[in-house]
Amino acid sequence: MSAALGSGSNGNRPAPAVANRDVREIIRDEHFMRARILEVLAEGPLTVPEIAEAIGRPTHEVVFWIMGMRKYGYVAEIKEATDEGYFQYQAVPREL
Amino acid sequence: MKYDALVVGSGIGGMESALKLGDMGYKVLVVEKAPSVGGKMILLSKVFPTLDCASCISTPKMAATIHHPNIDVLTYSEVQSIRSDGNGGYHAQIRQNPKYVDEAACTGCRQCEMACNVAVPDEFNADMVSRRAAYIAFPQAVPKKAVVDRAGVSPCTHECPAGIKAHGYVARVRSGQYDEAFELVLESTPLVGSLGRACYAPCEEQCTRGELEGALPIRQLKRFIADRRYGQEFQPSPEAPESNGKKVAVVGSGPAGLTAAWQLARKGYGVKIFESAPQPGGMLRLGIPAYRLPNEVIDDDIANVTSLGVEIATQTRVEDAQGLLYDGYDAVLVAAGTHRSVRLRVPGEDKQGVTTALEFLRAVKLGEDVDLAGKQVLVVGGGNVAIDAARTARRLGAGSVHQASLESCDEMPAHDFEVEEAKAEGITLHDGWGVAELTGGERVQGAELKRCTCVFDADGCFAPEYDEKMRKQLECDVVIVAAGMGADTEAFGLETNPNRTLKADPGTLQTAVPQIFAAGDVVTGPTMITQAVGQGRRAAFMIDRYLEGTELDPAAFEEFLPRVDKLEVLRRQDVYDRREPLESSETMSAAPIDFAETEATMTEEQALDSTARCLDCGVCSECHACVDACPADAVKLDMRPEEMEVDVTSVVLATGFKLFPADAKPEYGYGRYRNVITGMQMDRLLAPTRPFNSVVRPGDGKVPDNIAYIMCTGSRDATVDNPLCSRICCMYSVKHNQLVMGALPLADVTVHYMDVRAVGKGYDEFYQQAKDMGAVFIKGRVAKITEKEDGNLIVRYEDVEGDGGVVEAEYDMVVLAVGVQPNLEVAGLFEEGSLALDEYFYVGEADEDIDPGRTNLPGVFVAGAASGVKDIPDSILHAGAAVAQAAAHVEKLKAKEEPKAKEESKAKVTV
Repeated sequence: MSAALGSGSNGNRPAPAVANRDVREIIRDEHFMRARILEVLAEGPLTVPEIAEAIGRPTHEVVFWIMGMRKYGYVAEIKEATDEGYFQYQAVPREL
Repeated sequence: MKYDALVVGSGIGGMESALKLGDMGYKVLVVEKAPSVGGKMILLSKVFPTLDCASCISTPKMAATIHHPNIDVLTYSEVQSIRSDGNGGYHAQIRQNPKYVDEAACTGCRQCEMACNVAVPDEFNADMVSRRAAYIAFPQAVPKKAVVDRAGVSPCTHECPAGIKAHGYVARVRSGQYDEAFELVLESTPLVGSLGRACYAPCEEQCTRGELEGALPIRQLKRFIADRRYGQEFQPSPEAPESNGKKVAVVGSGPAGLTAAWQLARKGYGVKIFESAPQPGGMLRLGIPAYRLPNEVIDDDIANVTSLGVEIATQTRVEDAQGLLYDGYDAVLVAAGTHRSVRLRVPGEDKQGVTTALEFLRAVKLGEDVDLAGKQVLVVGGGNVAIDAARTARRLGAGSVHQASLESCDEMPAHDFEVEEAKAEGITLHDGWGVAELTGGERVQGAELKRCTCVFDADGCFAPEYDEKMRKQLECDVVIVAAGMGADTEAFGLETNPNRTLKADPGTLQTAVPQIFAAGDVVTGPTMITQAVGQGRRAAFMIDRYLEGTELDPAAFEEFLPRVDKLEVLRRQDVYDRREPLESSETMSAAPIDFAETEATMTEEQALDSTARCLDCGVCSECHACVDACPADAVKLDMRPEEMEVDVTSVVLATGFKLFPADAKPEYGYGRYRNVITGMQMDRLLAPTRPFNSVVRPGDGKVPDNIAYIMCTGSRDATVDNPLCSRICCMYSVKHNQLVMGALPLADVTVHYMDVRAVGKGYDEFYQQAKDMGAVFIKGRVAKITEKEDGNLIVRYEDVEGDGGVVEAEYDMVVLAVGVQPNLEVAGLFEEGSLALDEYFYVGEADEDIDPGRTNLPGVFVAGAASGVKDIPDSILHAGAAVAQAAAHVEKLKAKEEPKAKEESKAKVTV
């Protein structure tokens, strides 16, 4: 599977026009956003707000994608939360 | 099939009913809509007041239900109707929905789920995370088998005459699986690059996104994956299958012939294609100009075919199709296309300088010397071929290019965009004009045009009418006639239609000579490339069956599920983000000078952005990732629903309840404020199989420091037409309080309540325990919640017991203790109005106090929360009461039937 995005991919895209997007629509974007999230996690583990800032998307949408990616074995949390109360997530080798 | 009892629903009430009846020795059928038994209880974290693990209690009952010798269970199935048999029993009509997975083969390994390319909200996790279209409902599912969620066939896929899984390759591209997307198209045809450029994309006309901002560029995505594949240094070769020893001859190397050859070669046939032209490709090579379809792309597509060992003999005209059988071929496919030009039949047509569009385009595409520099060219015709000829003439340096068509611009058979492109390239259109005569000496020097007033008659048949008085003259040196194409079939010695196309059965494509099949334009007349490809696929399928000795059944070729309704798709979301369609990359020149492609291949970013617009109409995209991933070959996308009727002596309705939709209280902001969740969502967050790694806010992943509960959300509330207490909300909230304080020892928990109803053994003690652990209970109904920028929530309430007045408190997260509603679907199972409901629309009990579980219908009983909200112990008790009565009913009928049966048996002996 070729999952890596080339440079200049969706990182700098404007935020969606609908501020509170339908859950179904956000979730549908998981496959589309996965490569981009893994790209930013390649530098090291990040919290949801940090990922959101890196990819320019709202935090609540990132929660859907990160938790989906966690469920399907692309990322895992670091056990202890930060002092600010956020868990960090890191890319993990995926077992198939 | 005959059962003593039908149990509808398999929550705790249904499972208890079935198990008790089964243990008594009765034969029971359980029907469950979900893919797993277990209902809502299996999704809970723990149960109150014992805080026992809900999974630990449920799973043994789930397993016992499935494996009980007296119980049959149909999951993913629906009872459609129940009607009396007139003898005290019932007939039940049941629909078993296809799981698209062979349960016997499925090992529950989740490989399909891990590979699936479609993400949808996970209803088993209260929509807090995604699941896949191919999925196992939850980790403790019983049976632990995958299902594939298919709402129907996506409109794009359904529309493709070639049978290409359009939605499937779009989904593959979205996941970055470009090679796999290419391979998916190859399952239908080797012409990935050609279709990516020259297909008229009927799929896009049907794209549901077209009802919003515009369709997906499905064709261009195919071009993207083809160009990416063909641009790779290393081209993975398709695996050549083992030869089956049989040979098939294919006459013609156009889209139908190449596709059929490809499909047959993949099945192990030795295939040889006979092509009369100097180069293979048929109309792709000879008819479509290079600015739309370069020869290199056709070469790449054909290399797919030849890499499987298919031979192509060019400049080899087949005169006698049957003769090929004598040459040792087991079957022959004639796919010779329509390469005969239709004449204009006007005076002057035989003058020098008059040619046909097919001859002209063929000469240019094959690189022959065609000099139009400075010439005045008239193209006659209004179809796509005429447009291609006109634009080609422009590129060859013609001084002027005019195009005359009988039809007006609106009626022209050419696509609108092609007409616009022709205009942009400086072609002068004379729409609504026909040729009266071509003038000049030996060589054409001009054309006299006459006004066409009507092209088709009332039946839609071609019958042009003219205003003979309205005429105009055009000077021209060259006339290119594009008046239509026909099949040239005389030489084949096969039966033909009046229009000279070959006669073949439309379903099997077999001709009157059993070993000879015919496909593509030579059968249908001129059509689109995709239709010819579809014919090629069908022909290959039928030839294979014929040579295997299998019946030629047209229905066996491709049986689609029904097309999903676009309106249903659009109704799945309340709002849609506006996502702009891809802008056209066509670069038009008013005076084009070469045959460079006018459209660019989309970039990777454009491809991904475009696929992100896909609405996954059919849910499953048919990308076949699950099929490829399954180690047990268990995915069977050809499964179809099964209808069955069973006779049952009694019915137990255990259809449970619905949760109050929290967004029906808009003042609490559910659905708008991301950190406002429901009680069920908190139960999922606290469950061992939770959707998140911990209790964190859905809004930003933060561990909450203080959490508020708002009781009676949707219960005891006249504003939402529910005066009833939902009974379970107080205690499940108290349960949460304790679990949250266990999971997040530093978190504060506050409960806003009207009054706490803790009626039941140990319930009040359980409530006191929560208070002792630190939960704060504030009496007073919450009026409103507002959200701060940081996602925190301001809860506004009246402080009834404290200092009074309206108070605002800030929390990290708010849990709405949503109430319970009746499941209205149950009444629809019976003849209208026959099953009595109570005043709150729960299943009515004839006498709740002394006869619990008995409905107004003899032999029909209700168990658990279907008759009114109950907690788990009460549901179990109620199920016991219901099945005791069901058993009594069965026995009563048996007692009635036994003497009858004895008499019948005696009578037989006497006879």
